[in-house]
Amino acid sequence: MQAPAAAQIVVDQITHMYRPAHGQPVLAIDDVSLEVRPREFLALLGPSGCGKSTLLYLMGGFLPVETGRILIDGKPVTGPGPDRGVVFQHFALFPWKTVRGNVLYGLERAGVPKEERLKRAQAYIDMVGLQGFENSYPSQLSGGMRQRTAIARTLAIDPNILLMDEPFGALDAQTRSLMQSELLAIWRRSPKTVIFVTHDVQEAVYLAERIAVMSARPGRIKSIIETNFDRSDPNLFKQPAFIEKVDEIWNLVRNEAMLAQRLAAG
Amino acid sequence: MALTQAFARSGRRRSWSWETLGYKLLAWSPLIILLVAWEATTRAGLFTPFMLPSLSSVFGRIADDYASGELMLSIGTTLWRALAGFAISAVLGVALGILISQYRLVRWFFDPIISVGFPMPKIAFLPIMILWLGLFDVSKITMIAFNAIFPVVTATIAGIEGVEKQVIWSARNLGAGRQRLMWDILLPAASPQILTGLQVALPIALIVGVLTEMAMGGYGVGAVMQTASRMADSPGVFAGIIEIAIVGYVLVRLMNMARRWLLRWHPESLDATAS
Repeated sequence: MQAPAAAQIVVDQITHMYRPAHGQPVLAIDDVSLEVRPREFLALLGPSGCGKSTLLYLMGGFLPVETGRILIDGKPVTGPGPDRGVVFQHFALFPWKTVRGNVLYGLERAGVPKEERLKRAQAYIDMVGLQGFENSYPSQLSGGMRQRTAIARTLAIDPNILLMDEPFGALDAQTRSLMQSELLAIWRRSPKTVIFVTHDVQEAVYLAERIAVMSARPGRIKSIIETNFDRSDPNLFKQPAFIEKVDEIWNLVRNEAMLAQRLAAG
Repeated sequence: MALTQAFARSGRRRSWSWETLGYKLLAWSPLIILLVAWEATTRAGLFTPFMLPSLSSVFGRIADDYASGELMLSIGTTLWRALAGFAISAVLGVALGILISQYRLVRWFFDPIISVGFPMPKIAFLPIMILWLGLFDVSKITMIAFNAIFPVVTATIAGIEGVEKQVIWSARNLGAGRQRLMWDILLPAASPQILTGLQVALPIALIVGVLTEMAMGGYGVGAVMQTASRMADSPGVFAGIIEIAIVGYVLVRLMNMARRWLLRWHPESLDATAS
């Protein structure tokens, strides 16, 4: 057992109201506390509408922290910054820029000299397997290739922390499982702290070292589960221990998912 | 519907062929039928030449005006005014749209003005424009810009406000500040809608240009038509109508080409080149 390192991300008693333009405010997150170690891969798992994305946006600095506090490397979050790279479910690419233009954008803003940034952009384009598509526009690419572009764009600014909001949720099943193992390969090569939001239990068990299971509205952390599998094993999905773990967590989530459905229906 | 689609497809094809020529002729045939009917009825003497001069005499008139240089003078004058007014409305309209989308105070000030001003017939300001700015180019171009600016402003606001929140978040995350966000992200993302606004504004500029010339004189197609009408010179009036129809059509086509080039990243352009 290694000694617990100082937490890189501290979420401390966060409560957040969602205020729609019309209608009553809704309690989206209720008193959530969480600590994430450096280079840890943590999944935020829960049914849709449980506030897991909201929690991620708060860490990203896109939404204002109202109650509680979030510390990154000891400093409170005041806004978005290139220390936290974000990958969104629907890619959020710049459609008027080519793949290369998208990957270059963060490097341009960081003031990296031209030759260096072209080299770095190419390295990340190669890393996600998009060589040959540098001059394609996002609308010419498949969903999987768009998400690879978005991941390359985020990795290019070399963030310490990767915030991923259901990044594979919009992809078909084959592409999704391919992207999952590629993400793990990238993470092993250049370890970063990853917060991975998902509602897919198997995805969470496969990818994450630790899973924070959230309850439905209002979002609370129900339990935190450690997983310890050999992720390089191609037959991991068939291992009884893996299946058992998925089952165990699925039982935890099932009630919440049913509750969430009732809330959505009613 | 099928016809216009076939026409649109043939227009995008690069290579020339009898097939595309056939489609084009088919698409244009209603217009050709109308023109032939015009010539035939006037030759048959159904109308007096005063009421409706023959198409050939109108074309003859255009050819004469071309030979004397009058044609280039009147079309050139109208085009200069319309395009100058359009350019002003484009630059000011986009700038105003940006300011309205970014500053609450500017929005508070302009919101009601635009709500009332957009639907109102702004040509009603013409007498005041003449009082303030005289009869020459300045008043005409001001009138044109004043009419054409509204669709540009509203399209710019709608375009900027419609930019996906997560695209903005991505840009901020990658290090874009407020100014960078506007130039690098919001304007390019809004450009399809801004271009639509400009495409609406361009014909307005031409219409108002011809109208001001009719009302105030001073060369240009509108003024020439008005003079011809006063002198009971029917071919002169119809020559103006045909000239302005052709000018308008060419301008709109050029604008469409500009759109396709500027939005070459957009699915609408990519689909067109792929098929």
